[in-house]
Amino acid sequence: MPVPCEDFNYEAALLACAAGERAALQRLYEQEAARLLAVVRRIVRDGALAEDVLHDAWVNIWTRATSFDPARGSARGWIYSVARNLALNARRDDLREADLPQETLQVLDDQASLAAWDAVNRAGAWADSAGRVGHCLSELEPVRRDCILYAYVDGLTQKEIAARVSAPLGTVKAWIQRSLVALRACMS
Amino acid sequence: MNSFTSAITPNDGDRLQALAGEYVLGTLSRAEHQSVAAQLATNPALRAAVADWEQRFLPLLSLVEPELPPEQLWPRITRSLDQLPQAKAARAAAAARQPLPWWRDLESLALWRGLTAGGFAIAAVLAAVLLLQAAPQPGTRYMVVLVAPEDRAPGWVMQTSSTRQIELIPLGMAEVPAGKALELWTKADAWNAPVSLGLVKPGQRVQVPLDQIPGVQPNQLFELTLEPSTGSPTGRPTGPIHFIGRSVQVS
Repeated sequence: MPVPCEDFNYEAALLACAAGERAALQRLYEQEAARLLAVVRRIVRDGALAEDVLHDAWVNIWTRATSFDPARGSARGWIYSVARNLALNARRDDLREADLPQETLQVLDDQASLAAWDAVNRAGAWADSAGRVGHCLSELEPVRRDCILYAYVDGLTQKEIAARVSAPLGTVKAWIQRSLVALRACMS
Repeated sequence: MNSFTSAITPNDGDRLQALAGEYVLGTLSRAEHQSVAAQLATNPALRAAVADWEQRFLPLLSLVEPELPPEQLWPRITRSLDQLPQAKAARAAAAARQPLPWWRDLESLALWRGLTAGGFAIAAVLAAVLLLQAAPQPGTRYMVVLVAPEDRAPGWVMQTSSTRQIELIPLGMAEVPAGKALELWTKADAWNAPVSLGLVKPGQRVQVPLDQIPGVQPNQLFELTLEPSTGSPTGRPTGPIHFIGRSVQVS
C-alpha cells in the first residue's frame, strides 16, 4: 500500500466519492485504511471483527458520502466518526453476547493508549500529535485524563473504566461529565 | 429513552453539549447512544455539537499506531460496492450516457480545490465570458464556481464586485421544490461554523452584501443548501447541498 501523504485532500476525495468516483474511495483507502484499522481494532479488540467493521466502514463511507457537508465538519473527522460508531456498536454487541468477565478484559492491552500518551508527553511532541486537545487534557487531573483516553481511544464502557481506575462508577461518570465541560472551556 | 436523552431542545445548550460529548466519547449506555443517533437526523444543533466534539477529539487518534490492513480487504470492499443497488443503476446509466462536455472531464481535485492548474482555466474562461462588462475593480478579486455535488455541473458563478459585496450569477435555472428555498452559506477554513448570506432565488442574479463576514479569502467555502422557504431555522445548514465551490483569487 502506498505511503500516506501529509497534505492529502480528504475533502476533495470525499466529495468525489459523493459524486460516484470509485478511484477517490481507493485514494482515501490507501491514505487512511491503516490508521482506521488500528483505531477500530483498538476498540473491538478482535482482529477478524476489526476487519469486518473496517469493511463495513468503507462501504458506509461510500454510500453515505453524499451526506457529508464540508461546512459542518472536516472530512477526516467525518470518516473517523463513521468507523468509530460502527466499532463502538460492534463492541457493545460483542460485550452483550459474550459478557466477558472483567479479568479477561484486563489482560488485554489496555495500557497501550496510556503508554503512548506518556511517550508523547515525554517526547514533548504535543503540538504535532494531539494539538489543542493534548494540551487541554494534560491540564486535567491524571486519573480524569485517563478516563477520557480509555473511553475515546480504547472504547471502554464506563463500567470498564471504573474497574480500570479503581473508582466507583458514579465517580467516573461525574469525572467524565466535568472533564467534558473543562475541555470545552479550554478549547474554545 | 430516559430523561437524559429525551427531547433535547436547541436552547438546552449545556445538556446538549454534555450529551454530544459523551456520544462522541462513546460512554453513553446503548439505549442513550441509539437515542442520540436517532435524533441526529432531525436535530441540527445536536448534529453541530457532535461535529464539534468529533473535531476536538480527532487529534487523539494520532496516539494509535497504524497497522496495514490485509491485502484481501480492499478487493472484498469493492465486491461489496459492486453489489450495491446504486452501483448497478450507475452502470446502466453510464452505458446510456452521452459523452460529457470537455469541462466535465476535469479531475475532481482541481475543480474542488481552488481551481488550480487546469481548473483555473475554467474560472478564467467563465470570468471572461460572464463578467466582461463588469467595471475593473481595485484590489484583490475572487471568484467561485459553484457546482452540483453529484455530477459537478456548474450552476452558479460568484465574483466579488466590491470588497463589501459579492455578485451571484446563475448559469441555469435551478429547480427548487415548493415550500423550499436555496440558502447561501460561506465558511473560511479558520471559522468554526458557516455563516448564512441569505436566501437566493433560482435563475436570478443577486448582489450579496458581505456585512456578516470579514470578507472573502482564498479557498473560502461557499455552498447553496436546500432549506425551508424562510431559511434555516437553526442558523446552520440543515438541508442537502445543491451547489458548492471554493473561492479563487483572479486579480
